[in-house]
Amino acid sequence: MSSSSIDNVQPSTSAQNNTSDELEPGACPDSILDPTDSFEEFASEMSSSLQSRHIALTTKSSTISEIQCEINKDFKESSEIKSTKSSEDLQNKNDSMSESGSSSNLIDQNNEELDSDKEDYLHSPELINKEKHVFILSSAGKPIYSRYGNEDKLAGLCGVIQALVSVVEDQNHDILRSITTKDCKTVFLVKGPLILVAISKSNESETQLVLQLTYAFNQIVSVLTLTQLNRIFEQRRNYDLRRLLSGAERLIDNLLIFMEKDPAFLLGAVRCLPLPEKSRESITNAITSTCNKIRDLVFAILIAGNQLITLVRMKKYTLHPSDIHLLFNLVRSTESFKSAESWTPICLPKFDASGFLHGHVSYIAEDCQACLILLTVQRDAFFPLSQAKHTIAEKLRRSNCLGAINDALNRNEDLPTTNPLRHIGILEIRHFMYKCKSTAQLFTSDPVSIDRPQDNRTRPKEGGDIVEKKIEKLSDIDYVSNYRKFCSQIHCTSTPAKLIFRSNSDNTILAWVTNGFELYVTFDALMEKDQAIKAVDRLLRWIKKEEQRIFIMNAPTF
Amino acid sequence: MIDIKTKISSFFLFNSSFGPKEGEELKRILFFHPKDVSSDARKTQVGLCEAVVKFMCTFSTEPCEALQTQTKRYMFYQPEEDYWMVLVANIPYTTKAHTSTGEGQAEFACNHSDRNSSRGGNCQQCNNKTQCHSSLEESYSTHPFPEASIMSNLLVSAYNTFRMFMGPLKDIPIENIYSICEKFFTPFIQSRNLCNDITEVIKGVNYLPLDKNCFYKVICFIDLLEINYPDFNCISFVYNDKLIWNGLAPNDMLTLYQYLVESLLPSQIEKELQGGAVAAAERHGRFISPPEGIRYKEDLQNLTKIHVTREDETESKEYYLIIYRTLSATVCFTIDVKTPLDIESFRSLDAFIGPQLSIIASTISEQCAVNALQAAQLINADHKFVYFNRLNYAFKASPSLNKLVPSTTLKPEVLSIIAGIHGDRQSLGNYGEVIIKTPHEYWITGKSSNNREFYVVIQEKNANLKEIADEVRRISESQLKGIFFYPM
Repeated sequence: MSSSSIDNVQPSTSAQNNTSDELEPGACPDSILDPTDSFEEFASEMSSSLQSRHIALTTKSSTISEIQCEINKDFKESSEIKSTKSSEDLQNKNDSMSESGSSSNLIDQNNEELDSDKEDYLHSPELINKEKHVFILSSAGKPIYSRYGNEDKLAGLCGVIQALVSVVEDQNHDILRSITTKDCKTVFLVKGPLILVAISKSNESETQLVLQLTYAFNQIVSVLTLTQLNRIFEQRRNYDLRRLLSGAERLIDNLLIFMEKDPAFLLGAVRCLPLPEKSRESITNAITSTCNKIRDLVFAILIAGNQLITLVRMKKYTLHPSDIHLLFNLVRSTESFKSAESWTPICLPKFDASGFLHGHVSYIAEDCQACLILLTVQRDAFFPLSQAKHTIAEKLRRSNCLGAINDALNRNEDLPTTNPLRHIGILEIRHFMYKCKSTAQLFTSDPVSIDRPQDNRTRPKEGGDIVEKKIEKLSDIDYVSNYRKFCSQIHCTSTPAKLIFRSNSDNTILAWVTNGFELYVTFDALMEKDQAIKAVDRLLRWIKKEEQRIFIMNAPTF
Repeated sequence: MIDIKTKISSFFLFNSSFGPKEGEELKRILFFHPKDVSSDARKTQVGLCEAVVKFMCTFSTEPCEALQTQTKRYMFYQPEEDYWMVLVANIPYTTKAHTSTGEGQAEFACNHSDRNSSRGGNCQQCNNKTQCHSSLEESYSTHPFPEASIMSNLLVSAYNTFRMFMGPLKDIPIENIYSICEKFFTPFIQSRNLCNDITEVIKGVNYLPLDKNCFYKVICFIDLLEINYPDFNCISFVYNDKLIWNGLAPNDMLTLYQYLVESLLPSQIEKELQGGAVAAAERHGRFISPPEGIRYKEDLQNLTKIHVTREDETESKEYYLIIYRTLSATVCFTIDVKTPLDIESFRSLDAFIGPQLSIIASTISEQCAVNALQAAQLINADHKFVYFNRLNYAFKASPSLNKLVPSTTLKPEVLSIIAGIHGDRQSLGNYGEVIIKTPHEYWITGKSSNNREFYVVIQEKNANLKEIADEVRRISESQLKGIFFYPM
């Protein structure tokens, strides 16, 4: 870290960092996560021209087949080449596709209702006054997903959206990006054969909305793989994708709620469960020692409460935070993982959008809500992985790691990370959020409380209404949504900022980005600048002191 | 980097209710610029805008404001029900992502220089042959993009000027509206550029501060005139480009002021400079609106009509506009259109104002010289500031921001940040302060207190928040004596 690049706002901090340690709090030379900023990706995404967009989606080398190749080099006897597998899967899906052909025609007929009915439906209580709508449709204009209301009744609206997108593309040779009014933003994203639209009255910026749409697209890819998705629409432009996505709607519903609340998405980072260094080490050792003989295992991930406990990986391969977010969402949204060990195909779009990994997913023990995900390229590895899971669980219990995990999950009052603000003792700080850029990990003063969403799909269809509430005490989610504007200004492509200090009658917010970290702090209203400088200085020192506990500081491999 | 101007890609007005049937789409288009666009292309453009407006109606009660595509930005303004004005400019969606390699194959210039320097390695993220740009300015100077707020300000001022001279759109009969729009908007839009300047972001009025005696002389002059010529009402008194006295409602005052300062007076001054001898003969003043002056009875037919609201009235009325100018002083009068006009009263007015006004003008000019001397001592060339009061549109900028010295104008990134603060009143509330530091070591401070705003730009490499705040306080104390900002 070069000290010259650090703002002199905290001169003592940069001085201290230079003497005591080369790296900023939380940084380590090796990262388990791919720290590519989602903002950078967004920029590249948005600068693509009409022609290059289609190419980008289809030409990408497959990481999975690369791994399979390597394994096959060693294991000549395993004659069953897995690359055939995905085509088998496609075969199955194709069967169901032809079945659906007739029923989609029926839907077509249903849609030919009177225009006035559709108008009325758009103003029905199911749809009106929502803070954020998300619609997904095929490029032929067929509805696939609507966050609220019934997609069938929205065929008219989807037709309009499709027409807008295609008029701009065909007649103006341009790409439709966004429409704004004073209180509302509509953002369009065309990805492969799908059109995704967000209509939002929240304070999220356009970039943040496009990011959310990209996540929603990735969620669909995660269920189908990109290869299949493209293939389906190549064969039948008019295909009704909902047939293949039943169940995935719930995942998208939950993902949208998740994204609105968890700052991990805002920052493109992963939150780790704070654990004593020793405990995390023995957990990691338990996993590596058990799994190092299982050849096809790519990732072993232990998570709890949307936080990462540890990630052990095959050499050379890292996971992107957004793939981990999709795994969090999958585990959070699937109650059935709790009752039994599961074996499920998972596509991680950033890792390899073209094929499935196979995942063994299970909770580690009855009395510990940590979930172990073992991802492999081997199709029939359920039993060896199940065995490995039991061995790991046993080792964790013996080394008393389950207790440590439970303490952290239950936010035991004795832990310094449970209530960091009280522990640091800076009264003026109401809330903070810290991201270490090189490892893509974040820490906030308060874990975001996300209600466990219920399984039935009716619930998210309700709610989401715009409510005028008089805020008496801000919740952690309110703090995070206050940071949105700062976050988007700091990452703005045309006019980025390195530091923002804003004080008004409600609060004082400082946003600060350096080469190594991003920091967002909310102080009391009308905070004095020199006091704020001192407070941030102490805060950074505390994070440095506790970094081994709150971050994963190494990148273990099998 | 000097002055950034972008041509307007297109500008049009439409009203969907004018040609409701298929095949009548052209009737909906009241005005279209540029002229060389085929009628099919016009229909497509307007059709897209109509669809976008309608689409947003479903989800928002607010009118549509902007449409952004990969290469263009459309700004919308609905001044009256169903009447839409649209301004289009070429603005790539991610501005930084474009290099000068030409359209279609723009490369993504990623900015990983930060990471490079911290890791000392090569840029790992740029594995797809992209170019690493460390200098933002480079891409800015080749691609000037106007701020969204500049575009919408232009729309608003286009409409306000139209309404002042032509009246509301809805009062114009359909058969005349096409020719009236043509006659008004063609010269208007051709004379305008999208210019990235702070005065285009914050549209305000430069007031001229005068000492008590001097101001009193101006007031006495106006009172005496209105008593002797009761049909004439003085609506503004301008010296050079600075306002001294106003008799209109604030919004109309701003429109008239902009008309005077941006179009009428510059052309007038040009005329004066060209015909030196004529100007000397006209030392004692003349009517400059109508442009031929008022000498004979026939000239009364050429009087300009305007629709404005006077300060003491509640609704807009039609008046004749008469503008009189001596030396650097310009005075505007209104006469109710119902008043019978008499050439004699104009001649006598001329004889009355001429000598008096030239005395006042020279008194003011003496004072201006003194003021300028004092101001020159306060100037710190490195620091730029802008003061604005939303209630009376009072605008004051550091002298170097003056258009006459374009080499020191604000950098687009800085301007864009100021525009952002100015456009988002909510985030500062009734009183608040924001300090933003850019990667190029610019510190931008924005303060807001009730309806007053104050911006300071400081370029300082090794400063911290506290030092910047102290510097801002010093500038505020020396430049804005007596204007209170909280927090200090």
